[in-house]
Amino acid sequence: MLARSSLARIASQPSPLGAAPKTARNMATLREIELRLKSVRNIEKITKSMKMIASTKLAKAQRAMNSGKQYGLANSEIFQHAPSEAPAKRKLFIVTSSDKGLCGGIHSSVSKATRRAIADTENPVDADSPIMVIGDKSKSQLARVLGKNLAMSFNQIGRDIPTFADAAGVADLVVKSNVQYDSIAIVYNKFVSAVSYEPAIIEVANENSLKESAGFRAYEMEDDVTKDLAEFSLANAIYAALVESHACEQSARRNAMDNASKNAKDMIDRLTMQYNRGRQAAITNELVDIITGASAL
Amino acid sequence: MSSATWRNVFTYNKYAQITARAVRQSLKESERVVAEKRGVTALKYQQWENGVGGQQVFLNPEEDKGVGKSAAV
Repeated sequence: MLARSSLARIASQPSPLGAAPKTARNMATLREIELRLKSVRNIEKITKSMKMIASTKLAKAQRAMNSGKQYGLANSEIFQHAPSEAPAKRKLFIVTSSDKGLCGGIHSSVSKATRRAIADTENPVDADSPIMVIGDKSKSQLARVLGKNLAMSFNQIGRDIPTFADAAGVADLVVKSNVQYDSIAIVYNKFVSAVSYEPAIIEVANENSLKESAGFRAYEMEDDVTKDLAEFSLANAIYAALVESHACEQSARRNAMDNASKNAKDMIDRLTMQYNRGRQAAITNELVDIITGASAL
Repeated sequence: MSSATWRNVFTYNKYAQITARAVRQSLKESERVVAEKRGVTALKYQQWENGVGGQQVFLNPEEDKGVGKSAAV
């Protein structure tokens, strides 16, 4: 009796959506919920498969990164023994990112690190320091903010594991371009663990800075060989940065897709609950109509 | 040896890439296929002037197969 009176009270309240027939309104929202449920299920399938793909790619990328890091370490040994006397006044920034999205904050972390380095007051660099970007995502981010500094941009790297041929091509174009610089700062994402990364910078010296350094002047070096060394070490450093950034990107994409799948699953649970409740409410309302109709006879 | 004239034509990196290509092509068939993958590059670049990007150019034009496939994501 109490249930019937409360039901009657609820039924007599004006509906916020207007005076559509009760059962028709519930059916319409039920249909909407069903559609949403179907689309969220599809999305969950997609993000789950993307996560699987990213995890398999991550395993391969991590192996490549570990072997590529040795190049970078051997490379930086030279610069440790031959530090440049004067601090670099004009730095060329090379930003490593990639063309694809859906990988969390990879591209914006690298772009932000570049902006911070250019705006840094502790180690000031020229406000018009040239920037070269590898990867379309960071290119569009930096073109908006530091468009005047952009000198060159590269893409089509990062579809697969970056090869040394990619790095050598980039180094070639950097050296052959007319950009003036005293040293090069390569901004990339350092692989801290499978769930975290942080932006970092590799410094590479110019041919002239190598020649001026005390370590080099202690030996008789031919100019040609110094130039070769500068170019080759640039290619090495770019390769190490590219490979590590690639591994970070795969891990970030895996984590992002993992979170997306979890959220999609939560949404599916919530929507299913809503759908079932709506369905049962519609059945109850129909029962009430039938019973009141029957009792009126 | 010090009068190598290739330095007038291309950089050391290009020199290394050419010699690497020669080594790869001289490998036994099974090893060659694996090694060729390590030499693949489809790099494209574009010059920027004053905040405006120029034409995108393939670094190795013979690999240019028309409009590149756009990434799905």
